[in-house]
Amino acid sequence: MAAPPPPPQWVIDLNSPPATKPKSTGIPDPPGFTSTVGKKQQGSSKTAVRAPLTATEMDTLKLKKAWEVALAPVKQLPMTAIMMYMSGNSLQIFSIMMVGMAFKNPIMGLMATNQAFEKLESEGIKGKITMVKAVYVAMQLLALALGVWKVNGMGLLPTTRSDWLAWETARDPLEIAIPAF
Amino acid sequence: MRLPINLLALTLSILPSTLAVFADEAYNTDYHHELLGLPQPHTTFFHRPRSDEKATLLYTLSDLGVLGAVHPGTGKVVWRHVLEGEGYLRPVEGEGTLVSGTGKSVQAWDGMSGRQLWGNSFAGQVKDVEVMETVAAGEGEKDILALFEEEGKAVLRRLKGGSGDVKWEYHDATEDLPFQVSTNVKDVFVVSLHGARGGYNVKVSILDPVTGKKINEYTLTTKGDVHAPEDVLLVGANSAAPIIAWTDKLMKNLKVNILGKSGNLQTLPLKESDGEIVKVTIHAPDLVQSLPHFLVHSHSAVSNRADVYHINIASGIINKEYELPKLPGKGALSTSSQDANVYFTRTTQDEVIIVSSASHGILGRWPVKVDKTHGSFVYGAAEVVHKGTDSYAVRSAILTSEEDWVMVRNGAEAWTRVEGLSGAVAAEWAEIPESEDLAKTLEAEAHSNPLSAYIHRCQRHINDLQYLPGYLQELPFRIIGSVFSTDIASHKAGVLVRDNFGFNKLAIVATQRGRVYGIDSGGHGAVVWSLKAFDIPTGKKWDVKGIWVDSSNGIATIRGADGEYILVQTVTGKATEKMEPGNWPSVQSAAVVDSPSGTWILPIGVDGNPGEVPAKWAPKENIVVQGKNGEVKGLKFDVQGSLAVPITVWTFQPPIGQKIIGVTSRPAHDPVASIGRVLADRTVLYKYLNPNIVLVTAVSEESATAIFYLLDSVSGDVLYSTTHDGVDTKQHITSAMSENWFVYSLWSDILPTTSGLLASKGYQIVVSELYESDVPNDRGPLGANSNSSSLEPTDVANAEPALPHVFSQTFLIPESISHMSVTKTGQGITVRQLLCTLTSSNSIVGIPRTILDPRRPVGRDPTAAEQEEGLFRYQPVIDFDPKMILTHKREVIGVKDVITAPALLESTSLVFAYGIDVFGTRVAPSAAFDILGKSFNKLSLVATVAALGVGVVVLGPMARKKQINARWQTA
Repeated sequence: MAAPPPPPQWVIDLNSPPATKPKSTGIPDPPGFTSTVGKKQQGSSKTAVRAPLTATEMDTLKLKKAWEVALAPVKQLPMTAIMMYMSGNSLQIFSIMMVGMAFKNPIMGLMATNQAFEKLESEGIKGKITMVKAVYVAMQLLALALGVWKVNGMGLLPTTRSDWLAWETARDPLEIAIPAF
Repeated sequence: MRLPINLLALTLSILPSTLAVFADEAYNTDYHHELLGLPQPHTTFFHRPRSDEKATLLYTLSDLGVLGAVHPGTGKVVWRHVLEGEGYLRPVEGEGTLVSGTGKSVQAWDGMSGRQLWGNSFAGQVKDVEVMETVAAGEGEKDILALFEEEGKAVLRRLKGGSGDVKWEYHDATEDLPFQVSTNVKDVFVVSLHGARGGYNVKVSILDPVTGKKINEYTLTTKGDVHAPEDVLLVGANSAAPIIAWTDKLMKNLKVNILGKSGNLQTLPLKESDGEIVKVTIHAPDLVQSLPHFLVHSHSAVSNRADVYHINIASGIINKEYELPKLPGKGALSTSSQDANVYFTRTTQDEVIIVSSASHGILGRWPVKVDKTHGSFVYGAAEVVHKGTDSYAVRSAILTSEEDWVMVRNGAEAWTRVEGLSGAVAAEWAEIPESEDLAKTLEAEAHSNPLSAYIHRCQRHINDLQYLPGYLQELPFRIIGSVFSTDIASHKAGVLVRDNFGFNKLAIVATQRGRVYGIDSGGHGAVVWSLKAFDIPTGKKWDVKGIWVDSSNGIATIRGADGEYILVQTVTGKATEKMEPGNWPSVQSAAVVDSPSGTWILPIGVDGNPGEVPAKWAPKENIVVQGKNGEVKGLKFDVQGSLAVPITVWTFQPPIGQKIIGVTSRPAHDPVASIGRVLADRTVLYKYLNPNIVLVTAVSEESATAIFYLLDSVSGDVLYSTTHDGVDTKQHITSAMSENWFVYSLWSDILPTTSGLLASKGYQIVVSELYESDVPNDRGPLGANSNSSSLEPTDVANAEPALPHVFSQTFLIPESISHMSVTKTGQGITVRQLLCTLTSSNSIVGIPRTILDPRRPVGRDPTAAEQEEGLFRYQPVIDFDPKMILTHKREVIGVKDVITAPALLESTSLVFAYGIDVFGTRVAPSAAFDILGKSFNKLSLVATVAALGVGVVVLGPMARKKQINARWQTA
C-alpha cells in the first residue's frame, strides 16, 4: 500500500502554529487577538513544575471544597433576608415568588445532598464528609427557616387562634326553651 | 366546608356598608300595595277638587282612619293621610275642600293636593261633621258644624270655613247621647238619643244657625225600636228636607220624621217579597238644591228591592212614587245628585241601571262584566253623568263581599283595589311546595336498597322523558330570555313557581277583618288567593296569635285569640279545617313546638297557661310565656300518665313599680357562620351564643326609667341588665335580638341629676354585643366544653351561670322607631341588617350592622389594626341616609310588623312589611355577591365569545395553510 500523501500545508500550519513570538518584538498584537497559546504554555509549564499531589493532600483539598459547598447556602442568607424584609408582608406576586424560591431552594438542596458531595467523596475522609453533610443540611434548614419566618410574617402560618376558629364549634345547648310571647 | 364560610364571613364583614336600594332595583324588586282600608258608605263619594273643572276624584275615609283620594280612572291613590281612626268626612260643595272629623279634631283638606287647610282640636269626641250650607252663594267659605260629645253631653260648634275658629258653641244641658247634626239651611238640627241603652227616644233640638241659640226641641218616641245608635237608619243631611228614619223591631214598617216637624212621625210599610227583610238602608241626596226624594232599599236573604218616596216640603207628607222591582241576590244602590236631579244607581250581579228619582223610567242599563271572584256588591258610591238628551254614563266604586273595591264603569270593571288586604295583623312566610315530590322520592331512594333504588331511578328518568320535548321547546326562549331579559328572576304572572334563587315565596297574611291572603313575593306581591276565614263583628279585630306554616305538606295553621283556628292550604287558599271562635279556650300566644308525635303549634291560654296536653303531644323543650301581670315564666312539661302537665320552672318578676312591656328573643332561624370575632392581631373574641336568651323590656313610669333584662330562658337567671333614666315611657321602646347582639331604641332626656358622662336628649338606639369573655382567645368560664347547660353550668354544685361580657354603644337617631327586625340569610354569613320601621316618615330603613358596632373607637381615629377589623370612628349620630331607606320614595303607612326570610342565595333576604299597607322587597346587606347584577352585560359576553369563535373558524384554515407552506418552502 502506498504511503499516504503528505498532508497539505494548511494542515501542517494548523497542527503546528508558529512558535511564540518573543514579547520583546515591540509589535503589539492586533486588537481582539489573545495569545492563549502562550498562557496555556505558561500554565502547563507551571503544573508541570508542581509535583503530583498525594492522596492526603487530595483529601484535604476535597474536604476544603466540601466545606465550601456546605456553607454556600448560608452565604446567600443575608441577601435573601434583606430582600424578604424589603418585599414586605403583603401578598404580591413578587413576595409570593420570593417565598416560593425560599422554600424551593432549600428543599431541592436537601433532596440533592448526596449529589452535591458525590465528587468529593473518598475513602479517607468518609467520616469527616458526613459531618460536612450534616452542616450542609443544617444550613439548608436555616435557609428553610428563613422562608418559614417570611411566611409567618405574611400571616400564612396557622399559628393563631383565628386560624383554627373554623374548626371550633358553638357549644351545644343541653336544654332548649321556646319563646311563646 | 366550614373554612370557606368563615373566610367569606370575615371578608364580608370588612366590606363597606352597601347601598340598600340601587336605582335600577327600585320598583322592580320591591312591591307595594298602597291601601286605604275599607271605604265606609257615608264617607265615600265623588267630589270635584276644583269646582270649576268637571273632573272628580274619589274620596274616602276608611274604617282604618285613612283619608285618601283615588283617581277614578286608574284607581291609583292620589294622596292619603292616616287620621285617628274612623270618623266623618264631608265634601264642601262648590269649594273643592273636604272636612274630616276624627277623634277629637276637625280638619279641612284641600281636595287636589291633600294639604291640610286647617285643623282644630277640642276636648270631646267628634260625633258628626256637617257643612253649613248658605242660602246665597259667594259668601266666602262655608262654615262647618261639628258635633262633639264632651263628658256625656252634646256640644255643637260652628267653625269658620276659612280658619276653623269657633263662631258659636251650643251646649246641651241634658246628658243625652249626641248622635248627629243636620241642617236644611234655615235651621240646624241636633239629633240626640234620649234615655238609656236598650230603649232610646230620639230628641231633636232645633238651633238658630246664626246665633246657635236653641229655638225649639221635641222628642220622638220610638217605643223601644231604637236600641243602639246603629238602629237609626238615616239622618238625612243637608237636603231641603232632612229626615230621620228607623224601622220597627220586626222590620215591617219604617218610621220617618222630617226634621223640624215635631208631631209628624210617619209610618211607611216595608213590603216583604221573599221572606223576611234582613236589612234596610235609606239613600237620600246630600245637596240642598236636590229634590227632597229618598229611596228605601230592603234586603231579604235572597233578593233585594227598593221604594222611592217623595217628600212634599210644604205639607210634610211623604208619598211613595214608584218602586224598583225585586231582583235576586244582593245589590248596591247609590245616590248621586246633579243640581236638582237625583239619580239612583242600582248595581246587581247582572246589570247596572240608573233611574231618576222623579220617575221610574230607566235612564241607562248596562250588563255587568265583573270578575265573579270579587263576590257580591255590598255598597258603593256612584257618579252619574248626563251626557246628552238621553245618554247617561255612570261609574260606581263598589265594595264587594270579598272586600275588593271595584270600579264599575258602565257595567264594566275598570279597576280593582284589594282593600281587604289592609289592616293586616299577622303574616308568615311559606315556601312554594313544588319539588316536594322530588325531595320525597330522593329520600325514599336513599333509604331503599341500592338495586331497587337504581331501578326506581331509571324508571323515574324514563318517565321524566315525557317532559323533554316541552323542555327543549322552551330552551331557546329561556336562553334568549336570560340573555336579553334584565329581570334576573323572571316571573310569569299568576303562576306560582319556585325559582332557582328562592325569591318566590308566599306570604300568608291575616287581616283584622278575618280574611287571609296569599301573596306571591316573586310576582310583585300579587294576591294569589284570598279567603274569608271568620266573620269578625264590626268594631272588633281578629286577633291572630300565631301562624305556623308546615312546609312539608303546605298547610298554614292560623290561631286566633278566641280559640279559633283555621288550616289553609298555602298554594290554593282552601280551608281544610276550621274551628269557630269561642269553642275552645282563649289563647294568649302560640308557639311552634316539637313533640314525640311531630311539630305542632301549641296554644298558650290566658295567664300563660298552656294547659294539659296529651303525653304524645307534649313539647320536648321548655317554653317561655308571659303570665297575668306580664311576668316571664319558664314552663316545662311533666308527663304524668297519659297527660303532660306544665310546671313552672322559674318566674321573672321585675321589682315593684316596673312593668314589662316587651319580650324579645332570637329568631327561630338564626344561623351563625362564625362563633368568634377575629381581631386584627388574629386573636378571637368568642361570641356568647346562647340560643336561650330573651330580652325583657320593663319600664317604670314614676321614675321614667326603662330597664332591660337579659334572661337565660332555661334557668331564668338574669345575665345582664341595664337601666336608662329620663326615658319617655309613652314613646315606642322597641328591641330586636339576633346572633350575639341585641339592640333597642327609646327616647331619652338629659336629667339634671346626671353628672359625669355626657347625656343626650332625643331618640337613641343602643346596641350591645355579647362575648364569652373580654379577653381574646378565652372561651369564658365554660372553657372548652363542647356543650353547655344553663341549669348546671359546671360540675361544681350551685355554680354561677356563665355571664357574657357586654360591649354597648349608644347612637342618636333622627326619629322614632316603632318596630325592629333583623334580616335573615341561609347561612348567616352575610352581615345582618337591622330593619327599622319609622312611623313619622312612613318608611323602613335598613341599618347595616357595621354601623351599629359597639366596638367602634370613640373620640379618635381607628388604628391600623382596628381599620383591619372594619371598625371606623364612632359618630354619635346615625343619619338615615336616603340610600339606607328600603322603601325609597314609597310611603308605607301603618307598618305593624316586618318579617324576613332567607332566600336560597346567601346574599339575599326577603323582607315583607304589613300593617295598613303591604310592602315587600329583598335586601342584600353585603351586596349581591353571589348573583350577576343587571350591569353584567350577558349580550356582550355572548357576542365576544361568538366573535372569537368566528375568528377561529376563519383564521384556522389560513394559519394551517401558512404553516404547511412555510414547511415546504424552507425544505
